[in-house]
Amino acid sequence: MTDAAQSPGSEHLRCENIRVSFGGVVACDNLSLTVPRGKIIGLIGPNGAGKTTLFNVLTRFQEFDSGHIYYEGRQIDNSRPHHMVHMGLSRTFQNINLFGNQTTMKNIMTGAHNLMGDPFSAMFWLPGARKREKEAEDRALEIADMLHLVPELESIVGTLPYGYQKRVELARALASKPSILLLDEPVAGCNDEETAELKDLVFKVNRQMGVSVLLVEHDMSMVMQVCDYIYVINFGANLAEGTPEEVRKNPDVIAAYLGDEEDQA
Amino acid sequence: MAQITQTNGLFQQDDSARDRLNAVNACKRRFLRQDVTATLIVFAALVLVPQLPFVKGWMLSQASLAIIFIIAALGISILVGYTGLVSVGHGGFLAIGAYTSALLTKYYAVDLVVGIIAATLVSAFFGALLALVFLRLSGAFMAIGTLGFAFFVGTVVNNVPIFEGRDGILLDDNVVLGMEIGDFGFYYVSIVTLAVMTLFVYCIVNSGTGRAFMALRDSENAAMSSGVNRLLYRTLAFSISAGITGSAGALNAHIVNYVSAEVFADIWFSVDILMAVVVGGPALLFGPYLGGIFVVMLPFFLEELADFAFIMKGVVLILVLRFAQQGVGEVMFRPIQNYRRRKLMEAGGAKVD
Ligand SMILES: Nc1ncnc2c1ncn2[C@@H]1O[C@H](COP(=O)(O)OP(=O)(O)OP(=O)(O)O)[C@@H](O)[C@H]1O
Ligand SMILES: [Mg+2]
Repeated sequence: MTDAAQSPGSEHLRCENIRVSFGGVVACDNLSLTVPRGKIIGLIGPNGAGKTTLFNVLTRFQEFDSGHIYYEGRQIDNSRPHHMVHMGLSRTFQNINLFGNQTTMKNIMTGAHNLMGDPFSAMFWLPGARKREKEAEDRALEIADMLHLVPELESIVGTLPYGYQKRVELARALASKPSILLLDEPVAGCNDEETAELKDLVFKVNRQMGVSVLLVEHDMSMVMQVCDYIYVINFGANLAEGTPEEVRKNPDVIAAYLGDEEDQA
Repeated sequence: MAQITQTNGLFQQDDSARDRLNAVNACKRRFLRQDVTATLIVFAALVLVPQLPFVKGWMLSQASLAIIFIIAALGISILVGYTGLVSVGHGGFLAIGAYTSALLTKYYAVDLVVGIIAATLVSAFFGALLALVFLRLSGAFMAIGTLGFAFFVGTVVNNVPIFEGRDGILLDDNVVLGMEIGDFGFYYVSIVTLAVMTLFVYCIVNSGTGRAFMALRDSENAAMSSGVNRLLYRTLAFSISAGITGSAGALNAHIVNYVSAEVFADIWFSVDILMAVVVGGPALLFGPYLGGIFVVMLPFFLEELADFAFIMKGVVLILVLRFAQQGVGEVMFRPIQNYRRRKLMEAGGAKVD
């Protein structure tokens, strides 16, 4: 990568005119967005707007009909899901995806898979691999400490409450030393205290470690507080974008969310 | 894994909750230690078998056979227990290992040790090759695919002249490091092979590679988002699994110095290996030990009813699948586990349900 691609504010992750349809349902209709390096970008929209679908496209879990994805300026349309973390892109899932009958520690350690080296030196416990394993363990403990997961390190994650599992997932995503983090509703189902804590944490990860973040979240107070820039989508299409201030005042956005509330009422 | 039901109070972040959690966690770590300890005890017992005064020749060969099944089951545990894939055709790899070593020792007069290593590598190679076919199939189709592979190996062994079909190949006495070895010597070769393979499986399972296998077993999406290359690691698991089982095949060829299609084209081999690991405990180190010994010893306990061994095995399998899905090994550890948990949780002041 050139220095320009690594400098703060330069384009980190970008997608252009992404279109995804499931049979007749168009989940994404020419969606475009850019995540600049070192920024926290919000992606919001009413239920069913296509946020998760776009997320899955960006992380290559979802095929798309047309459009392009760029990572640090390089086109990654044909990358596979397991390539992403090796490039520095880590994600969490809206519906938690964990290794349910393994311990918290194992879950976090697996998140550091990209730093493990080749499978042969790992399985024969060669010195270099053991050293990396030790480093991964130390890092896992550090992350667990940051997320208040230390008492649960040896617990089976499937038996932990929802809020804990959300944090284990975030811990697993952080274990890979990502340079960009994609979070799909990280505070859904968390209580106020946990939400406040996670909000601080996302902020810390971004400001102190310089990790770019793309955040999908329904908790508006969190989105408005932590995001540098927000994209609003509705019915699979870009509706508005701007700073939190601008988005909050945008009449289209207000209408979309009010409409959503009327639907639900 | 032992499931410990936790009360909600456990998750408050005060100090007493922390103590209680530490108690629970210490208990869980002991579970892993139990697995290794139980394995070491059975291993030590197997080492001592030839020293016992009442052990006769047939007992020794029976113990050798048990070791062979334990190794084969260790091999399949990598697949079934840790990677979450099923093979109903591992007898095919047992045969590949057996004939590799048999042909090499017969026609090239190689050392038994070389034969075993070659059998391991050749089986691992075929395992990797076949994985590319099997892994395209999913679920039941993959199981049927592996079964087809075992039949295919049987057909080849029966019909390609070099394998000498049902007449079989008679081998010379076993030679290790230039010395001829008898039954006792062979027994210790089996023991060393078992030790190496057990250590190997332990190292794999407790490494990043093992974590990648288990990740694929537990959640493909989470595994892929962690960067695990599904095809690479599943192929690797298949290859390792086939290699370990192949080494068992080599031992099985040299135990009576005779290989024939009658023995190695038998599909029940595949079923027995799979059964050993499912009954013993697929994701335990101790599981293959328990299951391997069970499968070999059952006909003896049944004595003149030995013909009913298949029915008995079927009954046991159904009972295990119904009542102990993690295998008998896990159930055996449970009382000690519960006792410890109770003591530890009482120490931590928690209510035990
Ligand atoms: N695999 C699928 N097959 C068919 N339709 C799908 C599939 N996945 C999503 N959809 C549809 O695509 C649309 C967008 O869904 P998506 O999950 O991306 O929304 P979202 O913005 O994440 O919503 P939420 O806020 O509820 O999570 C919805 O109408 C949904 O029903
Ligand atoms: Mg969603």
